[in-house]
Amino acid sequence: MFSLRLALQSIFKDKWMNFLSMLSIGVMLFILVSVAIIVYNVERLTARLPERLTVMVMLKEGVAGEEIKAAQAVIKAEPAVKAVTFVSKERAMEDLKRSFKKDDFILKGFGENPLFDSFDVKIKSEGVHIDEVKRLIQKIKSMKGVDDVEYGEALMDSLYALKSGMRALGLSIGIVFVCSVTFICYTTVKILFYRHKDEIEVYKLLGATRWFVRAPFFIEGSIIGILGGMIGSGMLMGLYQYFIRRLIADIPMFAFMSIPLQFMYMLPVAGMLLGLGGSVLALGRLKY
Amino acid sequence: MIELENVSKAFGGYAALSNISLKVERGDMAFVTGPSGAGKTTLFKLLYLAEKPDEGTITIAGCNVADVKSSYIPLLRRNIGVVFQDFKLLNNKTVYDNIALTLRIRGFMEREIKERVHSVLKMVNLRHKVDNYPLTLSGGEQQRITIARSIVGEPTVMLADEPTGNLDEENEKEIMRIFKQINAKGTTILIATHNRALFRNTARKVFTLEGGMLRGEEE
Repeated sequence: MFSLRLALQSIFKDKWMNFLSMLSIGVMLFILVSVAIIVYNVERLTARLPERLTVMVMLKEGVAGEEIKAAQAVIKAEPAVKAVTFVSKERAMEDLKRSFKKDDFILKGFGENPLFDSFDVKIKSEGVHIDEVKRLIQKIKSMKGVDDVEYGEALMDSLYALKSGMRALGLSIGIVFVCSVTFICYTTVKILFYRHKDEIEVYKLLGATRWFVRAPFFIEGSIIGILGGMIGSGMLMGLYQYFIRRLIADIPMFAFMSIPLQFMYMLPVAGMLLGLGGSVLALGRLKY
Repeated sequence: MIELENVSKAFGGYAALSNISLKVERGDMAFVTGPSGAGKTTLFKLLYLAEKPDEGTITIAGCNVADVKSSYIPLLRRNIGVVFQDFKLLNNKTVYDNIALTLRIRGFMEREIKERVHSVLKMVNLRHKVDNYPLTLSGGEQQRITIARSIVGEPTVMLADEPTGNLDEENEKEIMRIFKQINAKGTTILIATHNRALFRNTARKVFTLEGGMLRGEEE
């Protein structure tokens, strides 16, 4: 209790310096968590991508019914595949006509059905990595009777490149900002420690243990970190209320975006841990 | 109670203390005297473990403090009450909090702290100054607060470095009265002073230091 009292006294005594430290920590944690949110949303966006992929397997002309059944069974047996539907060229033509509705006269120009038999392959929604999908497509391409395989390759590759890029960027920014927050706590506590040096000397001469001397600084560093984290959470809340919610409401393209509420609780905890870490580093080994 | 054997201490080639041997028995009130720079403060720093001797052994209450591990230093210091020449009071804390600090460091409950602080303040006749800050007190009063802080933890040994330096005769007498009272309760006291008048009618033992060496020991 005495250590807590000393820590609170010290925070109020140097309130402006401590407030600036908290503000800096808050801004840094806010930037850090904003990057984390972007990475999180890109992850979410790409996680269900294989599910949305429709792989169309085009079969060669004149493939026999037995061969088609055998190929369908082989594709169906693949672990990444959810369903395989055979679409005959007649059925494909009917679907096409349906999609043209009243304008199906366009198709009357063709004498013979120009379409081909195909499979619609649905990929499982969870636990399928993009590399697994690519491997599957290569395998299907090499199968007897398969003419070509079509899927949204370019889009998928771009999204996955974005995903790995964001991960790397997020990690780099994360490391830099974690170090920065720790450094702010380190310098704040170090300054406070030097400011209280005479007082600490008296404590030691009166028989204070290392823990007794350090505890108020650890508490102070942690409180500065918690309050910095709370400032960051407040900024995040503001960003969500006044920007992201409106963005989602006004532009449907961003409807997929979400901010996990855990981030708001996690920021003060992260701030506390970084504050404590900075204080431990600042005090180092206390000599007698 | 306090025993030094062949203790030497040098700072950057300058010998502050050379081959000092002295002994203060349990319950004694002894003095260390000598001119400024004789080594009195260095001797006290060795006794309250602010410095380590280069050579020799220092025994306080049966413990050789020269070889003690740094983690035990706080515990040993709790057994030694120190009155500093420059008081070392915390000016941002009240008289009560300055004295209570000794007990808070030891984890005493607030109720007992209150009782003990008021008891020692009564002993040094400063109960009415309990809520004052050190800088609002006179030099003599500040010194009495320092004494109160050093005895509130009931140490077995008390060290006082120039406790009456810069004080007038009236305050000197008052402080010596307090020391006698503490000594009468069984606390071993060692006082460093250059003022010979202070121990003329008080001391049982006087050690004289000069140039870092023990020049004399009077009973």
